[in-house]
Amino acid sequence: MTNHRCPVLRNRLSGLLVAITLIAQSLFSLPSHAITAEEMLADPALESRARGLSKQLRCLVCQNQSIDDSDADLARDLRREVRQQLLTGADDATILDRIRQTYGDYVLLKPPVGGMTLLLWLAPVGFIAVGALVVLAARRQRPVADNSLTADEKTRVETLLKGGKTKSERQNP
Amino acid sequence: MSRIRLSFLLPLGVFLGLAALGAVALYGTLSGSRTPDQLPSVLIGKPAPPLDLPRLVTATPAPASAAQVTIAPFRGKPLLVNIFASWCAPCRAEAPALEMLSKRIAILGIAYKDREEDTQQFLGQYGDPFRAIGIDRDGRAGIAWGVYGVPETFLLDADGIVRLRHAGPLTKDVIDNKLIPALVALGA
Repeated sequence: MTNHRCPVLRNRLSGLLVAITLIAQSLFSLPSHAITAEEMLADPALESRARGLSKQLRCLVCQNQSIDDSDADLARDLRREVRQQLLTGADDATILDRIRQTYGDYVLLKPPVGGMTLLLWLAPVGFIAVGALVVLAARRQRPVADNSLTADEKTRVETLLKGGKTKSERQNP
Repeated sequence: MSRIRLSFLLPLGVFLGLAALGAVALYGTLSGSRTPDQLPSVLIGKPAPPLDLPRLVTATPAPASAAQVTIAPFRGKPLLVNIFASWCAPCRAEAPALEMLSKRIAILGIAYKDREEDTQQFLGQYGDPFRAIGIDRDGRAGIAWGVYGVPETFLLDADGIVRLRHAGPLTKDVIDNKLIPALVALGA
């Protein structure tokens, strides 16, 4: 009897396994990249530099993706431009600077420090400083509470501890 | 006591300031005076990037300089450089505007990532306002000019310095409020 059921069970189990595998794959797989095999450079060292540079450059069509992630035509053209410049022997800083010359600071995903972007970089520090000042000022000004009991309160506590009624309770039965 | 209240009012003031900034930006975007999709061009006030492209054969008689299209022969007078493509719908929309402008200023065309026969067909259909057209088959000239979408239009002065750049079609509003004043300033 059990032998008849076994294949069914096995099928169900393997189905479950396939489902788990598929879900795991979709959860843990690396994000796919827009780059195609034919774009890649033969030299792995240059190619890894190209990938590094591509991650720092903004795709100006999509504006919040790097050209490494973007499928846009312009992103592909810029990837090719980066690789062509790498092949001519240019160093990373020169390549980034050349592209920045025509597309502006905006093309760099990490804006350079200096000029107008100084405000951008210093603003968080400024905000934290202002917050710290506010907290400090608030703390310094907070009056130290006088926690000791007044004479009247002391007699009330003593009466309560003895189990007797306080003055106010006697007044409002 | 009043000093405590003041220190607590400070974050509120900062917040209100930021909120006001956001409100101004939002109002600008909604009313159309602020265009965050228009990237600031770093080329303004700088010499136009080098241009050396094979010339597209058109019905318009070409100046003597023949096979290659460059900026040099156009020096001495303001020049409009228009980057377009037959596959770009807004380029069709701005074709009549370019036709009109071509009576006032020389226009150089860059056929961006387009097949020659397609460009020629486009010109046959929508008119050819260009003095010369360079073929930028792989879009490298586009990258050198900082193009991030067609159409784009650059206005160069007589010395080849970029005076104006507009990304997107030349609408009536853009022509009346941006291009014409810039042309007048250059005496064109």
